[in-house]
Amino acid sequence: MSGLIETLLWGVANGCIYILLATGLNIIFGVMKLVNFAHGQLLMIGAYVAFVATTALGLNAYLSILVAMGTMALIGVILERLTFRRVLGTDKLNEIFVSLGLIYVFENAAVILWGNKWKQIPNPLQGEGILLGEILIGYDRLFSILVVVTILAALFLLLKKTKIGLAMRATSQRSETSMLMGVNIEKIYVLTFALGAALAGAAGALYGILLPFDPSIGALPTIKAFAIIMLGGLGSIPGAIIGGLLYGIAETLAIYFLGGIWQDAIAFALLIIVLVIRPTGLFGEKGE
Amino acid sequence: MQKKLLAVVIIAIVAVAAVVVGWQLTQSSPSPEARAIKIGLVACYEKAEGQDMDRAAKMAVQEINDAGGIWVEEWNTKVDIDLVIVDTEDDSMDKSVGPVTRAVLEDGVDLLIGGYTSSGTLANQVVAIDNRVPYIITGASSSLVTRRGPQGNYGGLPEDNQLRITDAEGMSYMFHYCTTTADYSKTVVKFFAETMKPLLDSKYEFDSSRNLRLAILYRDDAFGKGVLADSKAVIASENLPIDVVVERSYPATAINFQTDLTVVKDANPDAVYVVDFIAGTAEIIKQGLRDVNLNTVYIAVECCEDPQFYTLLGEYGTRQLLESKFAPYAGPPFYLSTVETYVADYQTKYNTLPGMMGADTYDAFYIAKAAIEAAGTVDKAAVRDAIESCSIDQLLILTDSGKIEFSTGTNYHEIAPITFIEQLVWNEAAGECRASIVYPDTAPGIDPFKQSDFVLPEGYTPGSP
Repeated sequence: MSGLIETLLWGVANGCIYILLATGLNIIFGVMKLVNFAHGQLLMIGAYVAFVATTALGLNAYLSILVAMGTMALIGVILERLTFRRVLGTDKLNEIFVSLGLIYVFENAAVILWGNKWKQIPNPLQGEGILLGEILIGYDRLFSILVVVTILAALFLLLKKTKIGLAMRATSQRSETSMLMGVNIEKIYVLTFALGAALAGAAGALYGILLPFDPSIGALPTIKAFAIIMLGGLGSIPGAIIGGLLYGIAETLAIYFLGGIWQDAIAFALLIIVLVIRPTGLFGEKGE
Repeated sequence: MQKKLLAVVIIAIVAVAAVVVGWQLTQSSPSPEARAIKIGLVACYEKAEGQDMDRAAKMAVQEINDAGGIWVEEWNTKVDIDLVIVDTEDDSMDKSVGPVTRAVLEDGVDLLIGGYTSSGTLANQVVAIDNRVPYIITGASSSLVTRRGPQGNYGGLPEDNQLRITDAEGMSYMFHYCTTTADYSKTVVKFFAETMKPLLDSKYEFDSSRNLRLAILYRDDAFGKGVLADSKAVIASENLPIDVVVERSYPATAINFQTDLTVVKDANPDAVYVVDFIAGTAEIIKQGLRDVNLNTVYIAVECCEDPQFYTLLGEYGTRQLLESKFAPYAGPPFYLSTVETYVADYQTKYNTLPGMMGADTYDAFYIAKAAIEAAGTVDKAAVRDAIESCSIDQLLILTDSGKIEFSTGTNYHEIAPITFIEQLVWNEAAGECRASIVYPDTAPGIDPFKQSDFVLPEGYTPGSP
């Protein structure tokens, strides 16, 4: 029983990383209608940025999350301006191939810059935790959950209480009408992409704090993030949160009961079941 | 008349001398066919093990070339080795075949040395089998690399097995200079039965009828499955007092082992046998001790005998175990003078300690040299025959007989290495763990071989009674 509880906790902690990644991807898709297959590589670069901030600059691992977010937001701005803006609104295939190309650019750049050996962000809370009977609840897990809750709360405030958030929401619903109402669409696009990249950077930093990483870690999380936003409903942030948690828990329960080789199969089976029963996802609306 | 006779004699002497000198010159001049011998090193260069193999190969090649090269009788000269890099990238099945094909068909290598993962080698060896290129496999611990043939000495895999190679002659070009999963699984489980179980029984007052509770956590590939099957087979065949209480596999790409380790903890094992390469094994031990609170004895397999493993483990390696056949961290002084010299030279040259995969590779170049010199040619069939019948003194890897000999009979083209168990101990001055041999007590020609007694780690929790 204690093993099952511990497994659920792993699932929640993993789910938190998925939530950040999927939320970023969802915002970019919701506002820009852009499918970015290189989103997982932004997570990977975020992990390396936090690693450098921690090891080279001596920053605390949790403060390095902010550095990763800021750096990734900046990279997001550059990416949007130099690549996606040039193909946005043209054939969808153009966007897809640009993002596929970026996967290789990021992965090869990471290998050149940091090598291909596993790295992990030194974490002052590593190995520390509360022992409840046989269950060890690591402080790093608890702190990660807290970080994700804080980021999501800030995101909620940004989207609901600020003019920029209002403009982003308006653009996601009717971009042309928003433009007619005076919203600078190009500015919103660049801000949206920067926000999505910052969330991926935060996910990457948390990933690097909890687990080892190398330049290849981005590939699978991208697919999982897509699965999560389909599970939760395209464009729905509450859907991404619930979907991320469900996915993380389903994945770890699959490992617990059936073994590691089943983790992806079971999690994707869950996605298929939800889509068969409710094609719009858990929180999606018709037409999305 | 006398002057005439003298002139004839002188001319005759000069003529004879000219013929003799000319004949001698003809005899000692190298054949125009003489060329450098191309040896391909099949290695996964992106991994620490591959880089160690590369360094060891370069060391061996430099030593051999500096000493004049390899004597090839049919060319009547010594020739250098030309090292051909055969980089299999991540050594996945799809990526490992192409580079070996290029080495065999385009570079025209005379011989191949290396191999890393069992799955990668099982895939790329087919190129060598098809093209009759001798391949001294120094990685890939699955015994299938020499036992996937159609019958008898080459294996005897059933007809419906997809790995079965029907080309028995092609299989005869394969040589396994590496410990097999069966070899080291036997050492590991015998250590648990002979050393750890009595210690637990005495320390925790367990009934002697209680079997040692062993968990096996393994990669879901040929290597992992091979170790699992062989370990269970040895436990059963030798009736060892060990229960495998849990066996868990995970994808080879996994980096998060916490849930698997939680399942292992639920089974209350006395020890965990980790079957993975360097990074995976180090991560499993760290996550087990740090994140899952599974305070037990972990044992790693010999491919982890590499500086990167010690670096990655850090203090988490304290009192954990490593099965090996080459112990660069357990000295000086070392158990063999050849190891002493190799470790010192390697450190001088590369400013790091060597790993085990490189040691196998280093030996293999000397096997190739001996075989080519014995064959007197680079003809591949003759070299194959020479490797098959070679008998040279052991170098870095300990063998049963003290000789490197590829056995015939049921273990065709395999060696009989001595494997042993090391326990790691934190060394403050070095800033990483150092090793000490704890099993067995003696090795052929080395008594005592054991350097210290096995000690349970601090905070160790035994499995359920």
